[in-house]
Amino acid sequence: MGFLELINFYVIPGVVLGSIYALGAVGITLVFAILRYAHLAHGDLATLGAFLALAVVTALGLPPLVALPVAMIGTAAVAVGIDKAFYEHLRERPKIVTVMASLGIALMVRSVVQVVWGVDSESYVRGIVRPENYFGLRIKDREIYTVVFMIGLVGVLQLFLVKSKWGKAMRAMSDNPNLALLSGIDNKKVVMLTWIIAGGLCAAAGVFLGINTELKSMMGWHMLLPMFAAAILGGVGRVEGAVLGGLIVGIAEELSVLVLPSEYKAAMAFVILLFMLLVRPTGLLRGKVL
Amino acid sequence: MSALLTLDAVTGGYGDTNILQEVSMHVDAEEIVVIVGPNGAGKSTAMKAVFGLLNVRGGSIVFDGDNITKWAPNRIVQRGICYVPQVDNIFREMSIQENLEMGAFLKTGDLSAAYDCVYELFPDLKERRKTLAGSLSGGQRQMVAMGRALMLDPKLLLLDEPTAGLSPRYMEQIFQICRDVRSTGVAILLVEQHAKQALAFADRGYVLASGQNRHDGTGADLLADREVAEMFLGG
Amino acid sequence: MELIGLANYALFMGIFIGIYALLALGLNIQWGFAGLFNAGIAGFFAVGAYTSAILTSPSADGRLGGFELPFFVGWFGAMVAAALIAWPIGKICLRFRSDYLAIATIGVAEIIRLVIKSEEVLTNGARGITNIPRPFGDLPYVQSQLAYLAIVAAVLVVAYLMVQRQFNAPWGRMMRAIRDNELAARAMGKNVEYRRLEAFIFGAALMGLGGALFAHFNRSITPEAIDPMVATFLVWIMLILGGSGNNKGAILGATVVWIIWSVSEIATDQLPHEYAVKAKYIRLFLIGLMLQLVLRFRPEGILPEPLRGDTRTDDNAVK
Repeated sequence: MGFLELINFYVIPGVVLGSIYALGAVGITLVFAILRYAHLAHGDLATLGAFLALAVVTALGLPPLVALPVAMIGTAAVAVGIDKAFYEHLRERPKIVTVMASLGIALMVRSVVQVVWGVDSESYVRGIVRPENYFGLRIKDREIYTVVFMIGLVGVLQLFLVKSKWGKAMRAMSDNPNLALLSGIDNKKVVMLTWIIAGGLCAAAGVFLGINTELKSMMGWHMLLPMFAAAILGGVGRVEGAVLGGLIVGIAEELSVLVLPSEYKAAMAFVILLFMLLVRPTGLLRGKVL
Repeated sequence: MSALLTLDAVTGGYGDTNILQEVSMHVDAEEIVVIVGPNGAGKSTAMKAVFGLLNVRGGSIVFDGDNITKWAPNRIVQRGICYVPQVDNIFREMSIQENLEMGAFLKTGDLSAAYDCVYELFPDLKERRKTLAGSLSGGQRQMVAMGRALMLDPKLLLLDEPTAGLSPRYMEQIFQICRDVRSTGVAILLVEQHAKQALAFADRGYVLASGQNRHDGTGADLLADREVAEMFLGG
Repeated sequence: MELIGLANYALFMGIFIGIYALLALGLNIQWGFAGLFNAGIAGFFAVGAYTSAILTSPSADGRLGGFELPFFVGWFGAMVAAALIAWPIGKICLRFRSDYLAIATIGVAEIIRLVIKSEEVLTNGARGITNIPRPFGDLPYVQSQLAYLAIVAAVLVVAYLMVQRQFNAPWGRMMRAIRDNELAARAMGKNVEYRRLEAFIFGAALMGLGGALFAHFNRSITPEAIDPMVATFLVWIMLILGGSGNNKGAILGATVVWIIWSVSEIATDQLPHEYAVKAKYIRLFLIGLMLQLVLRFRPEGILPEPLRGDTRTDDNAVK
């Protein structure tokens, strides 16, 4: 197998898949670091985002990239609503209780998708897309969009976290929650912001997965493990780590086909997760260990 | 003139147990007051009671004319009391400047005067303001922690064992900074493990034991008291 | 006729309740005693089901197995296999907060699902393993069902008594001490990770046994036999509703939830097909909502955890 083939058939799809994981993993890492629990409904929120975009695409005949902002806003609103309705009053209880609640939310969100949109595969646009040839590299337009949007969204988020007052407040809450409260930082607003960001990015992950593959009611649940693996691989609380972790997990999954039967692609995320917990639980970029 | 802060027969603790038994003390404006006592005497607990981190079941805490006994910490911060915990008192993964900015979170408008004031007290920090606070030495971290607390121009600063784990050189420096802070018009209430040095530098002191008042007086008086000396100063 | 049908249905339901109660007991050891979050119950269940199936079924072309061992060997094997899967996972994850275990167990269940679907030599792929012998399976239908119900009930009673004894033993007290105040337990020199590992493995073994009971009852096992997420979730709601930390509560929860679940299925199956399909998801939504409501309004469940030291008086009161 030539170098170009390796790139075309494994690395490029891996980067695309990895970008999708990265979008979800950033939200997971923020929730993990600021609210301090593993949010198990993250994958199913991504499914919801993907189907919200489908609703816009089918109702208004818009391209999925135009529907993306609508899906992001809608999912962010749902995420905030879920927090208010179900997670908020568990905040004083052990965090693991919220993890359990989020498993139930995962089921609830998924069943809403299944009732409204059914369980069959759907897609945003019909027909086959041929990749363009760039000096031997075969890349589809939508693959370029996926990676560019991921970089753009994460870049904007980073700017927000580094430059804005509320972004810094989020970092402060992640860094030292007690001191953040002593400094008068409004915990409720930080939590809400976290859900807006995590929900929006989640929807983006779902929409791009839908653009590059197809929409299914289980699509998000199957992304949950790779997204968590990415967040832990990068280091919990590290946005850039989540991106790095997402890309590594995505590429590793695609490359695993070279040595493992393709059915076991999904096992790579699990292997990476256990390996990191075993040798370096803080992740590549020294994140938190809860 | 009434005191800036008055604790009157405060009883309370964490959960259902009472650690403090009718503790009374006061701090006047621009005064440095130290609480000393053996381990487990309730020194830090008394300080936390002021900051609304305790279940206070009896007595009252009055600050600058307001009864703040049942207030939440963020309201107390806004009223003009800032608290520096003993441990985990900085944002490690944020720069010095960002630590200060978080300290002034409740302040709207221009912060440059507040920054200038803090950097004047801690010139070391100004040079390194882009440095991550977690990479600093213990003494410098303590300065960041105090600087963060001073960003809101408090009238009273609560310091929980600011010199714990610091070398004698840094201890002197922290005490000197306390004097400098007082000269800007801020009163300080601090808990100290190093009783001898602290009493020597403070205006007044309270000796607590088993959650109760034992002695009080000026630093010099307490140092001279034989009973106090035997209690924990090691003669 | 109606009556016989109803009686048959009750038998059928009784057997399922017994199997789910076993799973809930297993989860109670993990969550109720030790505070360990297992989100991959269905995985351990499936490992038990397939292990026993392979050990006891007659030989068939194209796959491993056909050992035709007696059923109790298969059931024991199921427990061992589930425990062996739990061991390395626990070893790696129990050093951390239970969030990590939750994620890892989701992963384990997923990998087990992939293995079952893809390793034809082991599991016969999508066709599954058939001809699994059922103890007293040669009897006429009703007697056979009755006999199996008796076996399931006996297994459940034995499991309950053993778990209950452990719960009141120093081991159980230590587990609760670790769960409620890990730092203090560590300071007292308890080997927290090792104790947790024990709880995780014992719980998983019970789940494996539940899987084996299920496979022998159905006489076959296929990858589609249970929906992993639904099964896992049902066990969770059973334990939380019944009362985590209380073994009687676990069994009561299994009974209540399974009756609600299966009766509502019968009700919605009367609907026209297109609605019946949707109704399944609506039921899932409601069961998810039920968990939220229980967590919010009655976190201790129907039968709360007995207070420490009170368990003995509680037992006496029942007598």
